[in-house]
Amino acid sequence: MDLEGFEAATVPHMNALYDAALRLSGDQATAQDLTQETYLRALRSFNTFAPGTNCRAWLLRIQYNLFCTQYRRGRRMPLVWLDEGEADPSLDLPSAEPGPEEEAVRRLDREAVRRAIAQLPEDFRVTVTLVDIDGLTCAEAATVMGVPRGTILSRLHRARRRLEAMLLPELGRVQADDL
Amino acid sequence: MTCDDFQLRITAYSLGELEEAEVPAARDHLAACDRCASKVLLDRQLTAALRASAVPAPAATRAAVLTAVRAEAAGQPLPRPARRPNRRRHWAALAAALLAAAAVVAAALLVVPAPDPGSPLAAAWSSYHDQGKDGLGTPTPAEAERMFAVLGPDSRTPDLAAFGLEKTGWEARDLAGHLAAVAEYRDPTADPKHARVTLMRWRGELPRDAPGPDEGGELAAYTWGRHTSYWWRADGVVWCLVGTIDQDRLYEIAEHLGGES
Repeated sequence: MDLEGFEAATVPHMNALYDAALRLSGDQATAQDLTQETYLRALRSFNTFAPGTNCRAWLLRIQYNLFCTQYRRGRRMPLVWLDEGEADPSLDLPSAEPGPEEEAVRRLDREAVRRAIAQLPEDFRVTVTLVDIDGLTCAEAATVMGVPRGTILSRLHRARRRLEAMLLPELGRVQADDL
Repeated sequence: MTCDDFQLRITAYSLGELEEAEVPAARDHLAACDRCASKVLLDRQLTAALRASAVPAPAATRAAVLTAVRAEAAGQPLPRPARRPNRRRHWAALAAALLAAAAVVAAALLVVPAPDPGSPLAAAWSSYHDQGKDGLGTPTPAEAERMFAVLGPDSRTPDLAAFGLEKTGWEARDLAGHLAAVAEYRDPTADPKHARVTLMRWRGELPRDAPGPDEGGELAAYTWGRHTSYWWRADGVVWCLVGTIDQDRLYEIAEHLGGES
């Protein structure tokens, strides 16, 4: 087994996998288990991964299938993900030459964004996670979720309008300040 | 392209997923429409906000995943996950339950007075302790009929063979004035010290010192030594699952029995 090759291909995506797992499950313990199980399954089937294709999409597909078959079971989404007093590592954004959007977003309350995402229906939440956060194309997200690309676009559009409505005070303030 | 046409395509445009043939018309529209251009900016800010909300894997998670992967690759037994799905420890409740359980077990083992012998929690722990010594028999038809009258279908002893457990007996017991159905199971393949499961059910309220999900919610484990228990209440029936088997398996059994919704 090419463990070195497996790690080189997959470990750079662990943050994305964990984040997606957290958004799927809603709690950190489950997210860790889901991430670990995803990696183990990926290791066992690494011979099916086609080099040169999107490894992140491949891993996310394994994870999404795993979640649907073994973890879903009507789990509730808590609204607060980080333990009180725990450092929020996502606050350490790269500081090199942020674009205007990134600069504006620095002022956003990230917890408010997370809460808003958590309030979306699962299909919308997963779609937003795959495309907006993990950076998959709509076609890749469609493969992960097993739906047509048009469905992904439609879900994204509706999800983003909901998020916009929930976050408008934040986004509007940022926009007014930064334009 | 009108504003309405553009608004229908704004997500695809912002993500660079618009059909190539539609891109020129969309750009032309944006060049002439401040309102839609402003919406695109808002949409891109939203994308940036979503992306910035990503939560990186904690160092402990990264280490655990890599350890598991390397163990799997080396053909070694997998290390146990640090935590299992959805088991949240409510520490205040856990502390209260531990104190109560400790007192009762101490009372049972050391023959000192329990703090509240009238509590169903104390009675349940005492019953569990006694069963460990005496085991359970088989109820008479009259007892079975009475149990069914009180608890309905919940009086039936669940089959837990799918979890590797054999039923070794069940009884009707009085737990602090509550008629309870008590079932005893064993894992025949496990070390006897880690092979026991007891299930108790009675109609009433959750004991004050054993807060669990009341008519829906998430399970919490209460642990005393090698004993773990899960408590919950559903449809007016209190369920107490306690045992010495692997805590993860006990959690799965509790979940299977309806202890989480």
